[in-house]
Amino acid sequence: MARVHNWQIGREMSYWYPESRPKRQFAAVFDINKCIACQTCTLACKTTWTSGKGQEYMLWNNVESKPYGFYPLGWDVRILEMLGPQSWNGVTYQGRTVFDAARAGERVLGWLPEDYDYSYPNVGEDDCTGIVENGAHLSLPHSIWFYYLARICNHCTYPACLAACPRGSIYKRPEDGIVLVDQSRCRGYRECMRSCPYKKVFYNPMTGTSEKCIACYPKMEKNVQPQCFESCIGKIRLAGWLSRQDEASESNPIDYLVHIRRVALPLFPQLGLEPNVYYIPPIHVPIKFLEQMFGPGAAQAVNIYREAYRDPDLCSLLALFGSSHRNMTRWKRRGGTVLGMDEAGNRIVEVPVKEPVQIRKAYDSAMGVTRSNTP
Amino acid sequence: MTVQWVLRAATHLDLFGDTRGAIMRQRSCFIIVFVSLLIATGCSKGVPESTVEVVASFRQTLPLEPGDPEWDRTPLHVEPLLLQDLVEPRLLEPSTREARLRAFTDGTRIAFRIEWDDETRDDLPSASRFPDTCAVQLPLKVERDAPDPQMGEPGRPVAITFWSAFWQSSLDGRADTINELHPGATVDHYPFQAKPLEQDPEAQKTMELRYAPARLLGNFMAGPRGSAVQDLIAEGPGTLSPSEDSSSSGSGQRTDRGWAVVIMRPIPWGRSAEGQAQVAVAIANGSRGEAGSRKMRSAWVPLILEEPQ
Repeated sequence: MARVHNWQIGREMSYWYPESRPKRQFAAVFDINKCIACQTCTLACKTTWTSGKGQEYMLWNNVESKPYGFYPLGWDVRILEMLGPQSWNGVTYQGRTVFDAARAGERVLGWLPEDYDYSYPNVGEDDCTGIVENGAHLSLPHSIWFYYLARICNHCTYPACLAACPRGSIYKRPEDGIVLVDQSRCRGYRECMRSCPYKKVFYNPMTGTSEKCIACYPKMEKNVQPQCFESCIGKIRLAGWLSRQDEASESNPIDYLVHIRRVALPLFPQLGLEPNVYYIPPIHVPIKFLEQMFGPGAAQAVNIYREAYRDPDLCSLLALFGSSHRNMTRWKRRGGTVLGMDEAGNRIVEVPVKEPVQIRKAYDSAMGVTRSNTP
Repeated sequence: MTVQWVLRAATHLDLFGDTRGAIMRQRSCFIIVFVSLLIATGCSKGVPESTVEVVASFRQTLPLEPGDPEWDRTPLHVEPLLLQDLVEPRLLEPSTREARLRAFTDGTRIAFRIEWDDETRDDLPSASRFPDTCAVQLPLKVERDAPDPQMGEPGRPVAITFWSAFWQSSLDGRADTINELHPGATVDHYPFQAKPLEQDPEAQKTMELRYAPARLLGNFMAGPRGSAVQDLIAEGPGTLSPSEDSSSSGSGQRTDRGWAVVIMRPIPWGRSAEGQAQVAVAIANGSRGEAGSRKMRSAWVPLILEEPQ
């Protein structure tokens, strides 16, 4: 085990390999407050990458309803339970990561899902199964809240899947930090599935190898956002590159949201993988729950987001989400508009921060149809 | 013939020399006397119950079926298995206790039958199901010191032939369809079944490979399945890679106690060898989630290749 620095937990930790950060790191920000679980992202990914034999159950991208939806079943609560109660001291994690907590004979603390655990993807899991008129209603042991959590591989800085593979069949690309399974080398041992706490590696029983989200690298290489980003009708996602914390740039949209404003937070940072998909937490959820899922910065992130309408810069950057299929690695607010730019500063798109309000009649008499609200 | 292999065993044990050699010689004498008594009292049918080495009897034609009665006509070697303990992840508790080995050679090839106890048949793949597997390992060269028995070492490769129950069931007729694995599953549509491709098998194949990158890249794991065994080379843990020579063959069958698997492969060092040949085996029990470095394995076992009479 080597000692490496993990900025998300504010300390050094043990990892199987020495610290080796890529030239630039693929990263993304998901605004949970805007997700409606339409599953367009899930289908875009499914039809692009996992429509083959042996991939039937695979969802490299999925959207689940929190707190009770999971794919696979109990992926988060099971690893949290295995890890046991841990604590933070401010922004420094004092507990054990999945690497610190590895049991004798193991490289990572983990568990392997059963086939059954993949049987319940989110197919209307937030729908009422009874008849409302007959009194069907939701009853929970706590105040009623829920939200949708869209998930892909986190392309972690310290991937547990990579650490666990005894063959070295998983690698992190030095040019962009995307984590891939070498399909010519994998022998289907499934140590990656066992070790990934996010359960984002899947075994293909027809090819005998493990497969996972590839961050649509053929698209990223052409400066185009991945399928699940491009197809997101809720415009909740923004892909880009994350700089090191000490090299953060205000003009880099991901840096701005993650490092500078700290409104976007990692998923379960306490596990120690330094995941690179960041979430703007939902603002209607108890802070204690959010702190467990997104770390100690959750309350501050919620406050910043609540006040975003008073903050022209943050407000304008949030308006940039989903405004182009191309990678906008630079951004700038210009009066009432925001510019998305490429690495060289060339304009890709310019959108209004406040969209003009259009009021249309509910019934379109020309077409003879009733209009519905679609984002 | 029985006496012949016991004498060879004694000869080999003499290699230890010194005090240990003396003890071994005493033991060898005991074995000779014991076996002679067995022969004299008519308790033996000419094949000992268990040998201290793996003896490959010479045959012009090698038996390939695990149930071939010919296997009873070559000596049995029972090898206790050890935990793979060199790399993590690994087992901490032993699972499969022993492997029962028999072998034949025709001078250029060697056939092993490996038997082991296993209550469960694990030959149906799924996300959480692992195959029962076994492997035979031989050094590429016969040298005075054998390479590390756990997958060889850098510059001192070992030849491994690997058998998987998944592959065996596929060869035995299991279709590669989701319904073979999950009978209740339904699939609306695969892209390669699209109407426009129906009249173009090549286009269908190309489309299917787009969703099977391991197969596209020629990974043996991914099929299409033509053999239940794979030839591999290793120079230490984690270095397992396909061998250029893939002429081995093999097949496995369930027995009352578990599995019997025949693996036939070329002798890596050719027809003649100076020094002591060795063989090692490894077994993984699928129902216990064993695969890769989670396995039971043997130490090197001396291997004697009989010459034609």
